[in-house]
Amino acid sequence: MLSTLIVALIKIVLALAGLMTAAAYLVLVERRFAAWVQDRRGPNRVGVPLTRIRLFGLGQPIADGVKFIFKAEFTPGHVDKLMFFVAPLTIFIAAAAVFAVIPFGSVLPQDFLPAGWGVSEPIRLVAAPGIDVGMIYVFAVGSIAVYGVVLGGWASNNKYSFLGGLRSGAQLISYELPLGLGILGVVLWTGSLRLDAIIARQAVGGAWNCVLQPLGFLIFAVAACAEATRLPFDLPETEQELVGGYHTEYSGIKLMMYLVAEFLHMITASFLIVILFLGGWHFWGITGSGEAVTWPVALLRVAVLLAKVLGVILFFMLARWSWPRFRFDQLMALGWKVLIPLGLVNVVVVAAWAEFGPALAARWGISDPLGLGLAGGAALLLCWLVVAASDPTRVDNSPRRRVVTPDQDVEEIFN
Amino acid sequence: MKDSHTIWILATLLGSLGLWLMLPRGGRRGRLAGAALAVVALGLAASQTPRLGTWTAEGIFAALALVTVVAAAAAVTCRNPVYCAIWFGLTLLGTAGLFLLVGAQFLAAATVVVYAGAILVTFLFVLMLAQPEGKAAYDRASWEAMLSAVTGVVLIGVLSITVGGALTAPPPEAAPSAAAVQAGVLRPQHVAALGTELFGRHLIAIQIAGTLLLTALVGAAVIIAQGKNTKTDSINSKELKTDEE
Repeated sequence: MLSTLIVALIKIVLALAGLMTAAAYLVLVERRFAAWVQDRRGPNRVGVPLTRIRLFGLGQPIADGVKFIFKAEFTPGHVDKLMFFVAPLTIFIAAAAVFAVIPFGSVLPQDFLPAGWGVSEPIRLVAAPGIDVGMIYVFAVGSIAVYGVVLGGWASNNKYSFLGGLRSGAQLISYELPLGLGILGVVLWTGSLRLDAIIARQAVGGAWNCVLQPLGFLIFAVAACAEATRLPFDLPETEQELVGGYHTEYSGIKLMMYLVAEFLHMITASFLIVILFLGGWHFWGITGSGEAVTWPVALLRVAVLLAKVLGVILFFMLARWSWPRFRFDQLMALGWKVLIPLGLVNVVVVAAWAEFGPALAARWGISDPLGLGLAGGAALLLCWLVVAASDPTRVDNSPRRRVVTPDQDVEEIFN
Repeated sequence: MKDSHTIWILATLLGSLGLWLMLPRGGRRGRLAGAALAVVALGLAASQTPRLGTWTAEGIFAALALVTVVAAAAAVTCRNPVYCAIWFGLTLLGTAGLFLLVGAQFLAAATVVVYAGAILVTFLFVLMLAQPEGKAAYDRASWEAMLSAVTGVVLIGVLSITVGGALTAPPPEAAPSAAAVQAGVLRPQHVAALGTELFGRHLIAIQIAGTLLLTALVGAAVIIAQGKNTKTDSINSKELKTDEE
């Protein structure tokens, strides 16, 4: 009992410390990446303090953190004091609590622990291994994060913050539906809500879900990007329209909580994309697929998982500097008119294959995953054709009434 | 009448009186006294709940229950609608924690997803849209404070006497055995069993509930579509008139 507690505590401390460090250094990565895309140099000067050693700017995140913490923290007089304080705390805690069920590797052999501890199974690299509803837990805690944004916008008592909060409320609720539909296909195919079971299924089968359910993969990736409010979807905090959106009035450590929570959301989204669709810690030929592992394989699995996550994060960063922001009506149209119907199509395809697929595959002489992959690919092609032909996101923005242009004859209009 | 019944009735009466005093009724008189009464009632009720065995289980249960009950009281007594909604959210989180404590993982997660994550956010949305300045008098006082307090008395009283009585003196055949709990909510395939139950035995009920929700959705869509039509029509007719003139 005590040993379980100690192991769990060590895992929690490791995960939290790793996440905070990762969030800080990902800010640096993002800034250097932006500089690379825009043909600048980016932050490359801060190194070891009080020396001239630069270290490629690796000291920048520490300097940023120190600045955030020691900066004068100003609370405007017109805000709702309690909610102004609670809101960033809510979003930060919710963003960190998601990682209780997200595996950051496969298992570790238990042989390094003292024999007297009585740990007989390999140690699962997830803070709360026994949760049977892992996927729903992620959803539940993720939906709490909306409060941080909505309440922050409301408590700031400022029109721009308020608009940002309202926008984010609408956006996050809308995109939770396609997110859920994307997950549903994976859960149907795996037959479990546990994230480690979902990885194990992909590792044993050798076929990643992004190949089996390409439609679900695309929907989930887009919806996850929107849930993390990354740039094509960053309407809650559009600098050009809303100053800073919901965190306009925030400064100091509260602002830092918002920014770190935002990065944690992106890291969560990347972890989920990798775990649900990109095979988790599995890579063909080098990681194996079983539970009994040696130390090199166990560490290799962690490395593979983290490398994949970093790849997805870099893709998010590239997307940020590649696409302009959506207009709000386009955002809503994309969510409700495109992603949700396509998500339903994906669920129907996977459910139909789960019911009739094995018999069909046996008759045609192909394997079960190959059949699902073919069906999924066909569904993707068909959906792409239908969406491209019907263009449901296009809206008519022409003026409803006749507009008087300067060169029109005034006499002509008034007669 | 047993002693425990007397204490339960006393606790219920005190609690309801306290709640009635705490409800926002215009003036601020008696709110502190109401809070004191409610605390006394809570203590009385706590003295009657059965012990759980280990002190960790006891402590976790007490903390969660306290959060749930205090947040629920605050949700009905707060003057600011946004704060009421937040306190209600805290009640839901506490309830989810209690579900988790007894092993009902799915119910806990679903409570948070459905109530705290979707419905309550919609509440907040409407509250904020309806009164950005949050100063409407009719939302800051409770309607029919006496009636709601009496309803509370009846509901809490009946529930606590039946449930509390059953808990303090459990008949040996009614209490689920540890083995039954292990086979039920605590087994690893708990969610799969729940799904089988829901979509097997209760399929008709699920379908009816789904249809009901769909009806509400279609109704909302119809209302929105009508509003849009009339607006466009009026603009069009104005345009036509201008053209004719």
